[in-house]
Amino acid sequence: MVIQALQKVFRKPAYVILALVVSALVFVFAVWLPNIRLVAGIVISPDVPFASKLELPLSLLGSIATNFTLLSASYTIVIAILFGVYIAMITYFLKRRIKEVGQGGVATGFIGITSGVLGVGCAACGSFLLTSFSLVGAGGVLTLLPLGGSEFGIIGAVLLASAIYMTAKKIIDPLVCKVEV
Amino acid sequence: MEENNQQTKTNTHPLAMPIAVVIAGALIAGAVIYSGGKAPTAGTANQPQQQQVAQQTGDLEQMTPVTSKDHIRGDINAPVKIVEYSDTECPFCKRFHATMKEVMDEYGKDGKVAWVYRHFPLDQLHSKARKEAVALECANEQGGNDKFWSYADRLYEVTPANNGLDPAELPKIAQYVGLDTTKFNTCLGSTKYDKHIEDEVQNATATGGNGTPWSIVVGKNGKKYPLSGAQPLPAVKQLIDLALQGK
Repeated sequence: MVIQALQKVFRKPAYVILALVVSALVFVFAVWLPNIRLVAGIVISPDVPFASKLELPLSLLGSIATNFTLLSASYTIVIAILFGVYIAMITYFLKRRIKEVGQGGVATGFIGITSGVLGVGCAACGSFLLTSFSLVGAGGVLTLLPLGGSEFGIIGAVLLASAIYMTAKKIIDPLVCKVEV
Repeated sequence: MEENNQQTKTNTHPLAMPIAVVIAGALIAGAVIYSGGKAPTAGTANQPQQQQVAQQTGDLEQMTPVTSKDHIRGDINAPVKIVEYSDTECPFCKRFHATMKEVMDEYGKDGKVAWVYRHFPLDQLHSKARKEAVALECANEQGGNDKFWSYADRLYEVTPANNGLDPAELPKIAQYVGLDTTKFNTCLGSTKYDKHIEDEVQNATATGGNGTPWSIVVGKNGKKYPLSGAQPLPAVKQLIDLALQGK
């Protein structure tokens, strides 16, 4: 069923492009997240040559290999791909059946994204997740998690996959008027 | 009945989606803001609340100036200084230590770059890192800058990271780099470097460090660039080249 829905959506090149663009944006955002201030500073600085404005941010993308564990790099890439697919599918769906938006699917998708962001931020030692937990005085919680916070990334990937499944179900559902039997 | 049938298809609470969107938006916005260094709070859990609030205004200009008292590899007068706040049990610091050695091979010999090492043990994640920071200071006490760096190189080489180094290895590393282990152990058992290490932790968070490795690249005109995490060598080189140009 999911395959059928994917075929239906991605038959149109516009949705393929949308998924690719969104996936790329999510991936870039996730990798740049620890250095978003540096990237922004370089890009907006009038003193920095144009070539450097491109080269430095691009070279920072290499940190997927140096600043991530194998696990966190894997789920970061998976989340980026799933997010792109999810956005393409939900866009396809919303354009056709606005009144029948599957709220469960949309909610699951957003929770998945949220959880994914928490997991992605935890790639480097004590980064976003530790910061957030420290703010609410619960920094020690992380040490209790067997994967040190990667759980959020894994949950995010699972929730996004669930959201894609739920959206696929909606897409495959035929547009018919239900009658009481 | 048909309406009821339709309602069962949208089978969640009507507020589920808006609530989820609000929560997601808030958390994602939080991620961007805090990871952008506006709210560094990665210090110890027992820090007073007002210190955490003060840290939320952290900026690079609060970096303690580099002096001859720092642990410096390379020429202190180098036009570019990379001030690294590091945790010896962080796997990314271990990786970045190797990257920085490559940087120094390329830029250090010509006196273009100096590498300044400061302590940033993340107690919540790596309870052994603070004692290892003391060990580094003890190496420095006995053998000066050279022994500090020899000890640091060996420590990062042998530790499996993530709190995996047996504390019994610390005197062995001291012996390996040619220190007097008796004096080293006495120093290691003392508390004389606790304040110095804590001061560096506080300075790391004050400058916006919210994870390790946290580095500040200081250009020849004094301009400071934040660099978070174990970034790859090409990225570090790009940043050094910009800093050398004073851009």
